[in-house]
Amino acid sequence: MTFPLFLQLLTNGLVVGALLAIVALGVALIFGVVRVVNFAHGEFVTLGAFATYLVVTQLNISPLLGIPLAFVLGAAVGAGIQAAIVSRAAGRPELDVLMVTYALSIIGLGIFSSAFSGDFRSYSEGPSGIFTLGSVVIGLRSLTVLLVCLIVGVGTILVVQRTRIGLALRALAQSRDSAAACGINVPAAELFAFALAVGLAAAAGALVSLIGTIHPRVGHDLVLDAFVVVVLGGMGSIGGAVLAAIAIGIVNAFTSFALDDSWARILTYCLLYATLLLRPHGLLGRHVGA
Amino acid sequence: MKVERGRDLAKITWGSLAILACTAAMAALPWLGVTSYVRTLVYYGAYFLALGQAWNLMSGLTGYVSFAHGALAGIGAYAVVLALNADLPMVISLLIAAIAAGLASLIIGVTSLRLKGTSFTFATLFLQELVLLLVRKLPFAGGPGGIVLEEIFPLWLPHVLMIAVAGGATLLVLVFRRSRTGLRVLAMRDDEAAASAIGIDATRVKIVLFCASAAIAGLTGAVHGVFASSLFPNEVFSIDLSIIALAVPLIGGAGTALGPVLGAVIYVGLREILQVLAPNLHLTIVGVVLLLVILFMRDGIAPALGRLFRLKDRRGQVPAIAEVRA
Repeated sequence: MTFPLFLQLLTNGLVVGALLAIVALGVALIFGVVRVVNFAHGEFVTLGAFATYLVVTQLNISPLLGIPLAFVLGAAVGAGIQAAIVSRAAGRPELDVLMVTYALSIIGLGIFSSAFSGDFRSYSEGPSGIFTLGSVVIGLRSLTVLLVCLIVGVGTILVVQRTRIGLALRALAQSRDSAAACGINVPAAELFAFALAVGLAAAAGALVSLIGTIHPRVGHDLVLDAFVVVVLGGMGSIGGAVLAAIAIGIVNAFTSFALDDSWARILTYCLLYATLLLRPHGLLGRHVGA
Repeated sequence: MKVERGRDLAKITWGSLAILACTAAMAALPWLGVTSYVRTLVYYGAYFLALGQAWNLMSGLTGYVSFAHGALAGIGAYAVVLALNADLPMVISLLIAAIAAGLASLIIGVTSLRLKGTSFTFATLFLQELVLLLVRKLPFAGGPGGIVLEEIFPLWLPHVLMIAVAGGATLLVLVFRRSRTGLRVLAMRDDEAAASAIGIDATRVKIVLFCASAAIAGLTGAVHGVFASSLFPNEVFSIDLSIIALAVPLIGGAGTALGPVLGAVIYVGLREILQVLAPNLHLTIVGVVLLLVILFMRDGIAPALGRLFRLKDRRGQVPAIAEVRA
């Protein structure tokens, strides 16, 4: 493998990894704070993708504006769903809560499949053209995705690590009862975490529509990879999820090139089983009591 | 305590007799001159019930959610067609299918059942994808084009077999959940740490139970493979079957023996109505029903009905099953 090719694949992997990191960040945030695996997360990605697609093709709005729009839409939908549905199952056995988000996922998948059929869609509006850096060619769209992911990802981590509300979220992730005893408004913090995470998912969906084709299962498939990332990074660990996402993105870029896309996915899943067997709390994770 | 035991025994005996009678009656349908429409309906009801009971045996009793039962059934279907095409007798082929699914379940079980429920759920979720990708890649599995059963069997054979598997699985859940080991499993579902403290080897119990549950799913898939006779990987390993496997017991009543029977009847009815009214919305409506049942009936329709009637029988003694479970 030549060095320029190596750099090219590394760049491609970085773009996919960054996108994956934004999605996985949301999954880890919800898992850490609300203690729910959000199986419907992929459907929120799809929501963001189709919302952007519709806004761009019907209203002639720039896809760059579609990204914040998708974020706001996602946050609103997320807050509504957390308040009206997911919070109802709080404190119930794990099976019940899992099934609530799973049922939401089935409903979303059904709605998107019947509303948009199985067609693959894309649009040509927005940034176009390529950008060369030495021997590496990067599309302006991919560059946009990379930059937006960087801004959004760093922003989210700053909110979690540096603000008062972030402190509440971290306290909740450590111990729910102690956090409540310290006067943290648990339902409000959960609502915030869920809305933020779903907003991230929808924004990721907008980015997916920018660099690829979209279809009703687009988010569903992406989130499977995000789940792998969350397990590898240690359940609920935000830093671990980001690192694992970028690693998986890059590994996938190389295996897709050397073998093909299917083998890349098979390898990813085998990696997941190996991790569960050997490092059950993730590659970087430590055991954290519930 | 003795009275309770006596009532338990009576319940098991009458329940078993009722299940056997129903199974015999349904299995006899091909010779009773009913229309092929009714026969197909009953067949699919039995198919979904068998799959649902397989899921119920593991997830309903332990609370560890499996998303892999569709894939395990698919493994059974592939195994039986490959075995029959290699000229093995039917009984051996079905046995191979059950063993193949059981072995696949061991991968998940050994890697993830030592851990808390979430890891298990993820491990099952990825089996679905992994198996589909592998089957499309492996040459002996026919690739993306699938495989076809070479010998044609009479239609009554899969019908009788499927009813037998469904009836057998229901009987197994009924007897097992009142057995000594079954009670241990239920204790584990309610509080795993406490159950381990009184000497229950939780990991071993879960692995064995998941293996048995997978073998039943594999057998179910195998019988359906004989019924369908041509297998396409995208159909056999679609997520739909895994959804049905958990929706049927959850709607009817997970962890109970008769709940999934009610769930299967409701699901088959719903499916027929939706095929006429709104074929596009099938998935959405199953999701909505599942959501409503979980949010408002907690442990399914059958236990909710049970509470309703007992409430009328003995006033003042409000049973609090849901509260005990939560």
